[in-house]
Amino acid sequence: MKILIVEDEKGLRESIEEYFSGDGNVCEVAADYNSAVAKVSLYRYDCVLLDITLPDGDGFDVLKYLKENKTPDGVLIISAKNSLDDKVMGLDMGADDYLVKPFHLSELKARVMAIVRRKSFSGNNLLVFNEIVIDLLAKEVKVSNVVLKLTRKEYSLLLYFIANKGKVVSKNAIAEHLWGDGVDLADNFDFIYSHIKNLRKKLEEIGSKDYIKAAYGMGYKFTDQ
Amino acid sequence: MKLLARYNRVNLIAAVTVLFVTGIIYYLAISYILNDQVDKDILIEEQEVFSYVKQNNALPPVVEYKDQQIQFIKAHSPVKRTFINTDYYNAKGHEHESGRGLITSVVINGQIWQISIVESKVETEDLIQIIFFITIGVILFLLFVLFIVNRFILNRMWQPFYDILNQLRGFTLTDGKDIMHTSSSIDEFVELDNAVINMASRVKTDYKDLKTFTENASHELLTPIAVINSKLDSLIQTGEFNTEQSRLLNDVYDAVSRLTRLNQSLLLLVKIENHLVKDDQPVELKQLIEAKISQFRELFINKELDLKHDIVAREINVSPYLIDILLNNLIGNAIRHSDFNGGVNIILTQQELTVQNTGDNRPLPKGEIFKRFNKSANSEGSGLGLTISKQICESYKFELLYDYHEPYHCFTVKF
Repeated sequence: MKILIVEDEKGLRESIEEYFSGDGNVCEVAADYNSAVAKVSLYRYDCVLLDITLPDGDGFDVLKYLKENKTPDGVLIISAKNSLDDKVMGLDMGADDYLVKPFHLSELKARVMAIVRRKSFSGNNLLVFNEIVIDLLAKEVKVSNVVLKLTRKEYSLLLYFIANKGKVVSKNAIAEHLWGDGVDLADNFDFIYSHIKNLRKKLEEIGSKDYIKAAYGMGYKFTDQ
Repeated sequence: MKLLARYNRVNLIAAVTVLFVTGIIYYLAISYILNDQVDKDILIEEQEVFSYVKQNNALPPVVEYKDQQIQFIKAHSPVKRTFINTDYYNAKGHEHESGRGLITSVVINGQIWQISIVESKVETEDLIQIIFFITIGVILFLLFVLFIVNRFILNRMWQPFYDILNQLRGFTLTDGKDIMHTSSSIDEFVELDNAVINMASRVKTDYKDLKTFTENASHELLTPIAVINSKLDSLIQTGEFNTEQSRLLNDVYDAVSRLTRLNQSLLLLVKIENHLVKDDQPVELKQLIEAKISQFRELFINKELDLKHDIVAREINVSPYLIDILLNNLIGNAIRHSDFNGGVNIILTQQELTVQNTGDNRPLPKGEIFKRFNKSANSEGSGLGLTISKQICESYKFELLYDYHEPYHCFTVKF
């Protein structure tokens, strides 16, 4: 997939670019409003990651430009402003999602993947990873054609892992993804271990390979290598 | 003691003392003058007696007139001439009155006669009595006038002061209300009014600046935190780490995560205080709490907590965003602070929501727990959770109370 990262903060821009590159993805970057508009007027992207506060303009204007020209690009707003008004405004203007800084790259990736899937999988709502097939509409998981019963959180966790396949996902990122960032549980991550153990057990019992690898006590990696 | 009462008391004591002293002076002066008058009358009588004796070489006849009595007694030794205070017998009224007398003597044909002239002082006493009653009357009248003045005039005069005081009492930094101008014709109160209004607006400006600063600082912090976070996420992709490195990275992750939460909490506090969250709508608490319970299910299971809930349907008009945070904080706290295998109760009635948890067997200090950055020693929370909860409750005029009912720590939101 092809992604445009509009972000003025160099460190953040580079990290996102690095995280999204590879696996057949193409990333382009824009550091300011003008280059962002120049890029979106020339090329089409599967998803535009749009920072709202840019040195020479407003990210909302880039969004407006995209919508006025009826481009099919998905738009994910990344903003330092955790303001309901901004969020509502962005979504009303046609953005697909709104993510508040600071975020985990794995969360960003999962959100982008969800947008891209929604945009491009029209008619085909199956997500396939080797023998695991996920019907995104019915929220049903099959392993080698056998239905696997998962709780809502296990399902969400599996999607999260597949969106970040091949990457180490930190425990903090998983906790925030599953229990929301409003939950202040930084002092207790043990429950993630037991949660992942359950998912692993269910997958293994039904004949899936063990794709979930613990990564140096920091997190987990979903990989078939 | 009220200034008015104190002022009245001083006023009254001074006035009564002055009147009293005046009365005494009056009494002394008048009785002196009257005594003097009586003495003169008596001297004239003496003079008359002497001149009669000189002319006739005999005692004058004893005639009583004008409340004056005269007596002649044979004396054997010389008589000392003195004025005396004595009794005067009023033959007409058959009563004793106080009188003034002169003892003197005259010699007729070698015989010493003691002469005593006594004059009634009853008029003098009457006068003094009248003066006494007038003084008492004036004192009573003064009391009455002071009472009227205080009751009806002074109270009205002080009214601007009480108006200003009431406004000061109701003054809070967080609401948008300014102190209103209080009109008064008294210079001191006009000055006070101006000073109070100036002070209030200065304090508000300072507070606003401080809040803006907090907000800006928190916003500015978000970007570097986002960079650190993303760099960490990138770093852990780079390869194998040994146990020591993993431990260090984990610590950094946790610290950044706490920093993020802290920052978000600060921003949220500013937002609630500024009433920037304005998406109030009817929210069905029952559904929301049930959703929360299922959201936290794994956490309850993980700590093997015994969760009991008794929830009725209750709709309240709040921001879904804020009520979500409030529930997260209350239920999250209950989970975090309960002991392993402990109990958590969630009770919702029409009047209140109570979240109880077992845990440390000592009650928490009530005054401290809602303060910013107050947290138990072993908690790794931000220390802002309860402050935020309290703020949310206050912004909806709910009450958030803490109580310890063995073995439960209870947090109650009264709607």
